[in-house]
Amino acid sequence: MIHALKKIYADFRGFDETGSAVPMMDGPLKPNMALDAAPVALHLPDVDNLLATGDGLICSHGGDVMRLAVDGASPALTMTHLRSFSADVTCLASDGAQGLAIGVDGQGIVVEGGRHDGRQISTPNGELLRAPTAALFLDPDTLVVAVGSADNLVVDWKRDLMTRGSSGSIWRLSLAAKDQQAVPLTRNLAFPYGLASAPDGSLVVTEAWRHRVIAIDPGSAKPSRVLLADLPAYPARIVPADDGYWLALFAPRNQLVEFVLSEDAYRRRMVADIDPAYWIAPALATGASFLEPIQGGARKKLNMLKPWSPSWSYGLVVRCDRLMRPLTSFHSRADGRIHGVTSLAEQGGSLFVGAKGSGVVVALDTRLEILGQ
Amino acid sequence: MLSSDTITRIRYKYLPDHLIGEVLAKRWIDNAVPFLALAVLVAVCGAVVPNFFSASGLGDLGRQVAEFGLVVLGLSIVLMSGGIDLSVASIFTLAVLASLIGTNVENLSVPVTFVMVIALGVACGAINGYLIGYLRLRAFLTTLVTLIIFRSIYDILFLRMSTAIVAGFSDSELLFYIGDGTILYVPVSLWLTAAIAIGWHIVLSRMRPGWRLTAVGGARRSAYNAGISVRRTVFFAYVWSGALCALAGFLFAARIGSTGADTGVGLEVSALTAAVLGGNSLGGGRGSVAKAAMGALFVLILGNSLTNFGVSGPVNSTILGCVLITAVFVDMRWLRNRQKWLSKIYVSPAYLSLPAPPKATDPNSPFALNDRLRSVDIIGLGAIDGPEDVILDRDDNLYCGTRHGDIVRFFGPDHQRHEIFAHIGGHPLGMAFDREGNLLVCIGGMGLYKVTPTQEVIKLTDETNRSYLSVVDDSRLRLADDLDVAPDGRIYFSEATVRYEQEEWATDALECRGNGRIICYDPRTGVTQTEIHRLVFPNGICMANDGCSFFFAESWIATISRYWFDGPKKGTIERVLANLPGYPDNINRASDGNYWVALLGMRTPALDLALTMPGFRRRMARRVAPDLWLYPNINTGCIVKFDENGEILDVLWDLGGVNHPMITSMREHKGHLYLGGVSNNRIGRYRLPDADPAWRAQDSYWGEPT
Repeated sequence: MIHALKKIYADFRGFDETGSAVPMMDGPLKPNMALDAAPVALHLPDVDNLLATGDGLICSHGGDVMRLAVDGASPALTMTHLRSFSADVTCLASDGAQGLAIGVDGQGIVVEGGRHDGRQISTPNGELLRAPTAALFLDPDTLVVAVGSADNLVVDWKRDLMTRGSSGSIWRLSLAAKDQQAVPLTRNLAFPYGLASAPDGSLVVTEAWRHRVIAIDPGSAKPSRVLLADLPAYPARIVPADDGYWLALFAPRNQLVEFVLSEDAYRRRMVADIDPAYWIAPALATGASFLEPIQGGARKKLNMLKPWSPSWSYGLVVRCDRLMRPLTSFHSRADGRIHGVTSLAEQGGSLFVGAKGSGVVVALDTRLEILGQ
Repeated sequence: MLSSDTITRIRYKYLPDHLIGEVLAKRWIDNAVPFLALAVLVAVCGAVVPNFFSASGLGDLGRQVAEFGLVVLGLSIVLMSGGIDLSVASIFTLAVLASLIGTNVENLSVPVTFVMVIALGVACGAINGYLIGYLRLRAFLTTLVTLIIFRSIYDILFLRMSTAIVAGFSDSELLFYIGDGTILYVPVSLWLTAAIAIGWHIVLSRMRPGWRLTAVGGARRSAYNAGISVRRTVFFAYVWSGALCALAGFLFAARIGSTGADTGVGLEVSALTAAVLGGNSLGGGRGSVAKAAMGALFVLILGNSLTNFGVSGPVNSTILGCVLITAVFVDMRWLRNRQKWLSKIYVSPAYLSLPAPPKATDPNSPFALNDRLRSVDIIGLGAIDGPEDVILDRDDNLYCGTRHGDIVRFFGPDHQRHEIFAHIGGHPLGMAFDREGNLLVCIGGMGLYKVTPTQEVIKLTDETNRSYLSVVDDSRLRLADDLDVAPDGRIYFSEATVRYEQEEWATDALECRGNGRIICYDPRTGVTQTEIHRLVFPNGICMANDGCSFFFAESWIATISRYWFDGPKKGTIERVLANLPGYPDNINRASDGNYWVALLGMRTPALDLALTMPGFRRRMARRVAPDLWLYPNINTGCIVKFDENGEILDVLWDLGGVNHPMITSMREHKGHLYLGGVSNNRIGRYRLPDADPAWRAQDSYWGEPT
């Protein structure tokens, strides 16, 4: 009753009580074309899970894990094949030495190399963590895994968003004991997508569908803290930087998507009848087909797509300070070609930005970024 | 049991939601609130006040309305000019006194007194007008001062003359007739006021002086820049106010025959309340006679009824003051929010269910994708903005319209040089040549125009017959779109929508209602007549080769139909192509006797689904910013060749829209296809490998020149 009255009053006064207002990209998030201006290090379709390990970068594309090597002084990367899986690799984590945790869509996490080679991770019920989106070694014997959704695979992330999924969870596992199983740290997250450990020992988690970054305590069941909320885009991976973090955001929020999320009848029919590529939903890349919906502002004028057009995809990397306050950001706007950034890895003075949507890795010079402040 | 889809369809077919927006867009809607308030007041007072509807009650009310109405009208005129006149009551009382002196003391004849009184009013008004209009003093302060001065003059004169007035007596029949006579049961004075009101209504709504008055009140500086004499207009507004108040005073004197110390006290407040209550804006520029009349009636009925109930004068004034405050508040809210409400509810989607479109991605489909248009030559890159249609004359010159309101001519055969062929002022859309070689053009927002070979621009028509049941004034042409000429010279042209202007044409796609029509202009008689009603964004008109029918496209329902205007099948419409994968636009002849049609954009599954859910689209139009609305995908276009039986013969694509994001038109000429797009900055030329290299469209219509 009170809610209905509040709603009527909000409708009358014209403010939004649904929490679906899309924040402006302003202040430290003011749009620029820095990602498009950055040198391209690698063209690789579906590049994902960039990871800095003890000996160089690795990444995945599709079901293949690749090792990347910096080619002299230039930012260009050369690539060698490491190994293959039958489904998409959805997360990678390094224990700092030889060990590698590899998440495969629908098949869960497996550890390769190092002390725990061949270890499969399962829940106390014996289930696999079928949709791992991120993994992190807290120490060489402790692994934390983010599961995006209990209902959908990672490849079906769009369905998870458009069905308002919030069945994601975080798991912790001590690898030292042979038959120990993972314990849940927290549940009912809306697609946790990135993990990082904070200097104070807490665990930083990006929660994509709630467009925020939260912190949880890896040792206890204390409720989570919100570090950064009301992001204008859906966050993906987060990696620690010098006295702060790098945050990748993989798709922009859009007022029309928020509206569709509130329109249950339309959403149900869309999810049931239409190919996900043609939904009114965020995407990693756009413009592949004329069957994609477009918005009024995205109509080309004088043969140009304007940079400020509304778009289903976008490229965005945000530099945050140690309290997760945004400091500066790097964009690829509606007309740009570095869209759908899912992973980041810093190495040798460069931040390698993996744009899964566009299939490109670009290198941001981190020293330039500091100068740019 | 009906399915929910059927219920939706029936509900959107028979409940005309779009009328709400159209009614709200009407200028007269401003009167709705005061009219409703007045109706409620009459109903309430009629029920509770004894003898409210009796002949004597109404007659007395009528005489009061006549006098009070004139004062309110005078004040409203000043308000419309952007000023205010507080001295109306003082002028009124002075006029009462002057009339009585004329008739009772000096025993002048009634006409002489009348002229004298009106002259007095004009003089008082002229003082106000001169001070405010020419010397640019503040209206409020100036009329406050003249209020006091005129009132003081009255008080001084009244003290000296009161005995003489009471002692004197006029036995003029004419004066008695004006004061108490009736014509057809209606008081003479009310007839007089009604005549003046109707006169002013015509002046304000239909004549230049009235328009100038509202222009000055609405935006003084713009009016000045437009060449209106602002000072003179303001001056005459006060003169008219003075004259009307004086006339009211004369009528009052004729009716009552005496005056007192309290005559006209508080009249300016009542008049101001009435004017604002009726909906005349205090800020100027917005008002009408009807508003003044409604306000006057409201205030009088309220005041009289309260008096009838024995409410004392001060309480009565207090209530009136509260009404004034409420009226000012409602007026302010209304003015501020009307456009907002309108923009929120004007878009009114209808139900439309299209079958699933043919899959262009299937290589066996007649619409199978290719990249043949990616290699087109570019003409006039950056020199033109928005060539919706292109056309070539017999000398290979290429014509196109631009958004700047020009028709640009590129000189053949290489089309490197160009000139402005004609400047018309609106965006030229569809084009055609008639038998004499005149270029006929549909101009968005303007109508149908003709440009002769000597570059003379002639308007052919800009209006058609008004439909009786349309709320929107559909006689004016809003979006004349494409045309073609019948062998006998009749011009058939489409108007895509009557609900949106040129720049908002794509918003009509959210509605998908039959907002458009096809109109015929007959140059032999000069008559314009709507030929086919209620078409969904009719576009592209092309004469069939049989000379007695034409093809037309209905964009949002993705169909092409054929209409016979002559011959044995006269008046019938047949569907030629349905369920196209995109939205068809202009249709033109091909050299092999078939027809080209441009698909201006492609259908998308998300929008097709939304079309079956009008409520979804309506809420989207309200809650989401227009730039973020779902639109047809007009970033990719293609060209389709079809024959009279609806067979698809050829498809030309530019996937991804690199060269031509949207294609709204194409013309075949001497083995090439020339492409136009309404938001492009170029014209494309595509070489047709198998086409007749000598074929000219003009010859196919009018034969080879001799």
